[in-house]
Amino acid sequence: MKKKYLSLFLILLCTFVFSVVLTVLYVNSTTQVKHNNKKTIVASFYPIYIAALNITDGVDVELKNLSEPKTGCLHDYQLTTADMKLISKSDIFIVNGGGIEGFLSNVVKEYPKVEIIDSTKGLNLIKEGDDKNAHAWMSVKKYRQQVKEIANQLCKLDPDNASKYKKNLKIYDKKLEKLQNREAKIQQQIATNSRNIIIFHEAFAYVADDLDLDVKYVLDLDEERQVSAGEVADVLGSIKKDNVSYILAEKLYAKDMGDTVEKESNVKVIYIDPLNRGEYDKDSYIKGMNKNLDKLQKVYTSSN
Amino acid sequence: MNYLSWLDYGFMKNAIIAILIITPLFGIIGTMIVNKKMAFFSDALGHSALTGIAVGVVCGIKDTTISMLIFAIVFALLLNKISKKSTASKDTIISVFSSCSVAIGLAILSKGGNFSEYSSLLVGDVLSITRKEIVYLVMIFVATIIFWIFAFNQLNAVAIHKTLAKSKNMKVEILENLFAVFVALIVTVSIKWVGILIINALLILPAASSRNLAENVREYHLFAVIISVFSGVLGLWVSYYTNVATGPMIVIIASVIYFATYFVGGRE
Repeated sequence: MKKKYLSLFLILLCTFVFSVVLTVLYVNSTTQVKHNNKKTIVASFYPIYIAALNITDGVDVELKNLSEPKTGCLHDYQLTTADMKLISKSDIFIVNGGGIEGFLSNVVKEYPKVEIIDSTKGLNLIKEGDDKNAHAWMSVKKYRQQVKEIANQLCKLDPDNASKYKKNLKIYDKKLEKLQNREAKIQQQIATNSRNIIIFHEAFAYVADDLDLDVKYVLDLDEERQVSAGEVADVLGSIKKDNVSYILAEKLYAKDMGDTVEKESNVKVIYIDPLNRGEYDKDSYIKGMNKNLDKLQKVYTSSN
Repeated sequence: MNYLSWLDYGFMKNAIIAILIITPLFGIIGTMIVNKKMAFFSDALGHSALTGIAVGVVCGIKDTTISMLIFAIVFALLLNKISKKSTASKDTIISVFSSCSVAIGLAILSKGGNFSEYSSLLVGDVLSITRKEIVYLVMIFVATIIFWIFAFNQLNAVAIHKTLAKSKNMKVEILENLFAVFVALIVTVSIKWVGILIINALLILPAASSRNLAENVREYHLFAVIISVFSGVLGLWVSYYTNVATGPMIVIIASVIYFATYFVGGRE
């Protein structure tokens, strides 16, 4: 009988040693040495991170992004334990705001010491029923304001580096201004009779707003979701009734739906990028938006 | 890297408290589930949690744990009753119930295409453990221990030979229903952080490993509780530093222990 106890003890001991050794090896292989007494800034997701990347360029701070959700936008994103650790160690947490970070209230409660910058504070967000549409970064005009808000708040929270933030803001804002001018030009080229549009992603409501397009129907294909036959019929009905000739969609989630609709009607689907993931490069927002505008320009100018 | 820093965080403290309370229960209840060959039954109960949440959402109950609890208890009692009366075998009945309730749950929760909101239920989310959950756990812990002290001998007798137990004037039906209710309670309060897909493994694995080694009922319980608590704590620790979901990590460790005991126990 004693032998049983011994063997159980040995089994548990072996499992314990094995797990601990593997974990320690894993942790050692993945963690880097942390620099001290720098401000740590965490951005909630991609477009915010890119904005912060530009503002903090050349400034001695540590900028991190939360682990990438695999589903694009942050709705319903669950923080992982690594995210919680990251936020708890940070000084400033920059969020998009407008309710897209559903976990934000928990963060505020759990870590009252972390300063939070709400980049859409004071912005007029598009309303979707009772909810706000928080994808403000898809409007160049609004994104510029977000960038400004981030820079201003950073200056307040980290006054030592304020002059650098201001300089960076000027540089980035100039680039964005150029982008906005381009957008305005395209907007003027769009014929009035082709302004009716359907969007397959809430975020594109902001693109439509900038280009003065009239959104007739929104089918939110943001996350992997199942479309009911009734919704497809609604889209096709709206295409006929409102004389819609273009649909804005994200290729990743809406390709099947786009193909179906193109087959069933004369409408053309334009696949643009909601810029909620991509390369971690300073100019990737501008590049992405320019690509989107290329596509829109091609379609709208060729139809004239 | 400090390997003790994991207890600095509030959510990890909650998690370790929850694990220390719930894993002994998994061990204890698991022994009887394995004895009574009810593994499939507890699995079905786990699946019913989905429907419980769906019912809560439809009825506008804010605290979905309550609707899950109520639904799981009703589900367990109904399942017990029908499987006794029906001519079909028990596993068929359980399968019918399980798939039916999963279908209802999925249908309601996926309405409007928002199922991703609930997908954390499938693999569990350790951050969902709050003070309130711990209060539930403590209550259930006390209730289960009391139930076990008073009813274990009779339950064991029923598990070994039902007809004999009946002839000794034991209230077999009430005992079985009570046991089913306790399984339902334990499964439901822990499902949010363990996850529907693997909750059953936590009930079965420690008891099954213990059965490979133990020679009497006392050892059977003791080993099951030790293995269960051990895998729970170690799993939480490993998951924290390797950044994987906690429930699966606990189950992986428990499975490793099961296979080890299988080889050690099988040789003798």
